[in-house]
Amino acid sequence: MADAGAVRPDMDPDRVPVLSVRDLKVEFTGSGRAVPVVRGVDFDLYANEVLCIVGESGSGKSVTSLAVTGLLPETARVSGSIRLGEIEVIGAAPETLRQMRGRDVGFIFQDPTTTLNPVLPVGRQITEGQVAHGLLAKAEAPRRAAELLREVDIADPEGRVAQYPHQFSGGMRQRAVIAMAMAGQPNLIIADEPTTALDVTVQAQVLAVLARRQAETGAAVILITHDLGVVAEVADRVAVMYGGRIVETGPVAELFRAPRHPYTRALLRSIPRIDTTDARLDPIPGQPPTPSALPTGCSFHPRCALAEGRARCSGEEPSLRVVDRLQQAACHYADEIPVASVVATPREAAGGATPPAEPLLEVDGLKVHFPVKSSILRRTVGWVRAVDGVSLTVRPGETVSLVGESGCGKTTTGRAIMGLIGATGGDVRFEGQSIVGLKRGDMRKARRQMQYIFQDPYASLNPVLTVEDIVAEPLRIHGIYDEMGGAPRIAELFDMVGLSRSMLGRYPSEFSGGQKQRIGIARALALKPRLLILDEPVAALDVSIQAQVINLLQDLQKELGLGYLFIAHNLSVVRHISDRVAVMYLGRIVEESGRDTLYDQPVHPYTQSLLSAAPVPDPAVRDSRRRIVLEGEIPNPAKPPGGCTFHPRCFRATERCRSEAPVFGAYPGLETRTSCHHAGPLSAGAERQLEEAQ
Amino acid sequence: MKLLRSTGSVLQRLLRSPGSALALLFLLGITLAAILADLLPLNPYAQKLVNALNGPSAANWFGTDEVGRDILARVVFGARTSLLTAAGAVAIAAVIGVPIGLVAGFFGGWRDATLMRFVDVLLALPAILFAMAMIAVLGRSQVAALIAVGITGIPSFARITRAQVLSLRRRDFVTAVEAFGGSSAYNMFRTILPNSWSPIFVQIVVLCSVAILLEAALSFLGVGVAPPTPSWGEMLRTGKSYLHEAPYYAVLPGIVLTLTILSFDVIGRSLAGILENRSEVATPAKAGGAP
Amino acid sequence: MIGFVLRRFGQLLPLLLLASIGIWAMIFAVPGGPIGMLVGENATPEAIAAAEKQFGLDRPAVVQYLDWLWNALQGNFGTSIHGREPVLHLIGQRLPATLHLAVAATIVSLVIGIPVAILSALKPGSWIDRVLSAWSALALGVPTFWLGILLILLFAVELHWLPSASGYVPIWEDPLAALCNLALPALTLGVYVSGILARFLRASLVGELRADYVRTARSKGLPERQVVGTHIMRNALLPFVTIVGLMMANFIGGAVVTEAVFTYPGLGRLLIQAISTRDYPLIQGCIVVILVLYIAINMAVDVLYAYIDPRIEYS
Repeated sequence: MADAGAVRPDMDPDRVPVLSVRDLKVEFTGSGRAVPVVRGVDFDLYANEVLCIVGESGSGKSVTSLAVTGLLPETARVSGSIRLGEIEVIGAAPETLRQMRGRDVGFIFQDPTTTLNPVLPVGRQITEGQVAHGLLAKAEAPRRAAELLREVDIADPEGRVAQYPHQFSGGMRQRAVIAMAMAGQPNLIIADEPTTALDVTVQAQVLAVLARRQAETGAAVILITHDLGVVAEVADRVAVMYGGRIVETGPVAELFRAPRHPYTRALLRSIPRIDTTDARLDPIPGQPPTPSALPTGCSFHPRCALAEGRARCSGEEPSLRVVDRLQQAACHYADEIPVASVVATPREAAGGATPPAEPLLEVDGLKVHFPVKSSILRRTVGWVRAVDGVSLTVRPGETVSLVGESGCGKTTTGRAIMGLIGATGGDVRFEGQSIVGLKRGDMRKARRQMQYIFQDPYASLNPVLTVEDIVAEPLRIHGIYDEMGGAPRIAELFDMVGLSRSMLGRYPSEFSGGQKQRIGIARALALKPRLLILDEPVAALDVSIQAQVINLLQDLQKELGLGYLFIAHNLSVVRHISDRVAVMYLGRIVEESGRDTLYDQPVHPYTQSLLSAAPVPDPAVRDSRRRIVLEGEIPNPAKPPGGCTFHPRCFRATERCRSEAPVFGAYPGLETRTSCHHAGPLSAGAERQLEEAQ
Repeated sequence: MKLLRSTGSVLQRLLRSPGSALALLFLLGITLAAILADLLPLNPYAQKLVNALNGPSAANWFGTDEVGRDILARVVFGARTSLLTAAGAVAIAAVIGVPIGLVAGFFGGWRDATLMRFVDVLLALPAILFAMAMIAVLGRSQVAALIAVGITGIPSFARITRAQVLSLRRRDFVTAVEAFGGSSAYNMFRTILPNSWSPIFVQIVVLCSVAILLEAALSFLGVGVAPPTPSWGEMLRTGKSYLHEAPYYAVLPGIVLTLTILSFDVIGRSLAGILENRSEVATPAKAGGAP
Repeated sequence: MIGFVLRRFGQLLPLLLLASIGIWAMIFAVPGGPIGMLVGENATPEAIAAAEKQFGLDRPAVVQYLDWLWNALQGNFGTSIHGREPVLHLIGQRLPATLHLAVAATIVSLVIGIPVAILSALKPGSWIDRVLSAWSALALGVPTFWLGILLILLFAVELHWLPSASGYVPIWEDPLAALCNLALPALTLGVYVSGILARFLRASLVGELRADYVRTARSKGLPERQVVGTHIMRNALLPFVTIVGLMMANFIGGAVVTEAVFTYPGLGRLLIQAISTRDYPLIQGCIVVILVLYIAINMAVDVLYAYIDPRIEYS
């Protein structure tokens, strides 16, 4: 956002920080035993500066931000010092804190669907804080609310003021929340995962609005996130949290170029990147610690590559110390970390073309239409074309990815292929044999060859069965438990997915997310399938765990020659794992090609926008990258726009796009197939068009 | 099975709260008294007109009624009537209601519409009226009261089971069974039902209190268990006529009735809390990435 | 809006029809009948046949039902076999008393239930919450007929403040007498329902207190009374309206027991009498009127709900 390189505010002794946190400790006492969640956090924040706090679940990042505003629940015991301007937040009277909120500090929360009160008009919610502070007359409120909505790019703000949250789309709601946080022109904005619940193109819009408003008001911003891409895009300074403490802090460029804490380094190496490296991911072993069971000494030592049984790491907690001119790290052996860059390694040449094998799965013009029933008389009043003519081929040993934003129909496609949802039209062939409309018995046989892996490992395992029974269940249902080898086979499956056999008798609730996903994979492999349909298999996992599961999937594919249909929204993960990629928008594939061709030479404007909107975890490229910020959001699939369904958001749209739907076909000169009247590379000409359009 | 293994820990947590421990103790006492009533030196039928409407004394702890019968004896034997009727009624309600909810929730469509319409009709009439109408048809007897109270309990089981099935129906672990080829019946009885026991069990306990109340109300109105069978509601009905002469007559059996109803209610609510907290552990935590 | 009401009504009509068929089916399943009671046990077959003919009971069941339905649709519910009066007239006499009691009991339950719920929800788990939750449990656990007896013992037998049997006095004729007569039955019924309402409202308040938007409201610096009074209450009261409506609807016929304790001349007691004398036209009429009122109140609540909840649109 602001140019951090010019003046280092924290280096200037005369400047007074907006926020100064010293030795912040937070313990939760709700469960009888005090659980330390934040264990001594120090940082300063200056005007016009964006500090990103990064960490995985349980790292204490959200609790830190809530402590700053005094919004923690009563079960929290807070100590240390938090100075916000003139106010000492810890121990302040409730009335002082109330006066501070909305005036000195504004808050943006994660999920815009729940942060707004569903039964109050949006305009009122934006300004009521100011009215309560006596800074705004009630009569003036609607006018001011409209003004604030206009400042966050909401069209027709006067009309929107009286509307309720359910009449806003997700991105609009989050912009309204930004308007609300900015209403009192506070010196400090705290944004807790503000874009995590949003699609990537909407995330780009919201981050852009946040950045612009921050620049206009000069406020200081704390942005809490788990997404290193977002950090690289917006941060001036970064604080990495682990086990309730800041383990490393420094300017964003330095921290990404040469991380000085083993955790930061390992984290950066474990994430797949949209722009680089084909190499195997380097996962962090083990799990992030839970606050109630922290390891002794340095809480990262059980997972650390440097610790290697050193007594000092497990015995003594390192304090945050200056390790470089600009960086601080909490590691006894920070000097041993190679200063060599961990990012921007050039990508290996793409592997040889996949051997032309007989296709395992062929999907041909698949359609899934859902009736829209009126709520009262249950009459069909319309159709949602959730999937509207999707064609795909998956060969053995090949990974084909289906990417798109929420509501594009990618999950429905996967489930329809699996026969879990009835297809309205088209054909699905497995090894040349159609499996659409099969009789029960035949379908059951076909399903032995094809298995599904679910997104949410918490929800996909039956909580009342032991994991052994869960993995054995498919075999029992097909009556082939003994035939396939019985208990030894189950144990073998556990070995395959890297779980200890000693866990066989436990229940799912005793496992972490990553382990549950391994159990889900073991269950899917029980019937020896040839094809796996993976529906966002790593989306619900912590960053450091994602790499473990991705590696496992790749190993299994190599070992067993499985075909993968990989459904995902995360473009970096898709680039890492795929051989071919298909991009979906409103129930149709808009572009499909070999992985590298699609990422390096996209020709459909939607693909181009999607790729440009995805944050890259490398601050070095953030100023050089061109970003296309799409307008609007995905339309209601029950009422898709006429012509090309993408035209209302497209920067190349012409009259023809409004009236005539493009046909999906080969793009000359590339292996790509696309459906666009104006397909082509993002040339200078196209960019001019883009600028004119904005 | 996990259910059995966890019964002990549920009981332990139940006993940790003094309220539910007392309730459990009281119910245990009442149940034992009802079962062993014949072995106690109590006779609920022996009339001694000279002793009519005597206040509580060493011989008759709860006093005597209008024909000189021992009220304590009638309360103890009344517990047998009350608990038996309640148990039978809850069994009827559960045995009919749970499958209705299971089928309606699992299959949806016309089966759901038809079954739930039937349930709605049952719900639209206040339970006491419906039970009275049933007894009008069946004639006055303990079995009639049991059936009538049982039928009024069907909707609550059907609705709770259906809600549970609906919330489980789209869960991934149910879809997963479908994905590897499990049949609907397998899913319904092997996957969904074992995951639905907690709310059904809570409902059984809660409905016990409702059934006891309803049976007592019917007897109070003079359409429940036919005299001379001892019944708490009937005792209150008669006792009400002697409020001036013998206030204890209506008050003491009322205390026992109230404590019984309260105990079931307290335990039902504690169970809901305990079992709910447990199910909270199983619900998906909000994880970092969202699609 | 009108369309919405009509559609709601259209949904409920089959329910009513189904219920009336159910009642008829039940009546015809009973051996013996009202005639037996009317003409006495030793009546000659001729006398029975004559009586049956008089009340049209000799025709096939389906014909009788359709005949009844046709008349009912025109507002004619037949004549009471026992009292020899038009059914609707008998019901009309009792309805005002029932409505008086329903309104009075609702007021009592709200006056007790809402403060109890709010006070206990503000600090879940505190001693005040535990005391008030125990109160709700007690209100629910004490059978209304026993509570009624206790109240009569205290206020009528001991203190002689209020009558032990309550008659019906229209409130617009003699407000004081009306209140005296209503006080005990309304208190009995109201205390019981206040337990239900307090429990329900507390649960939804506690749920709303944990909602994300509450944190948002606090993060704006709203005073706590505004956070609770505006943000939380608006959300919690929406479902509460439905419950209150449901309770009121239940008072129409479901107050039988309370009416019996205080010998209050309401609709419920009329129905008891009808059942005990097997006066079928009267049973049928009472149940249909109770159902219609029940449905009407529920519909009114639905419409009100759709009106106050901005998320529901009438389309």
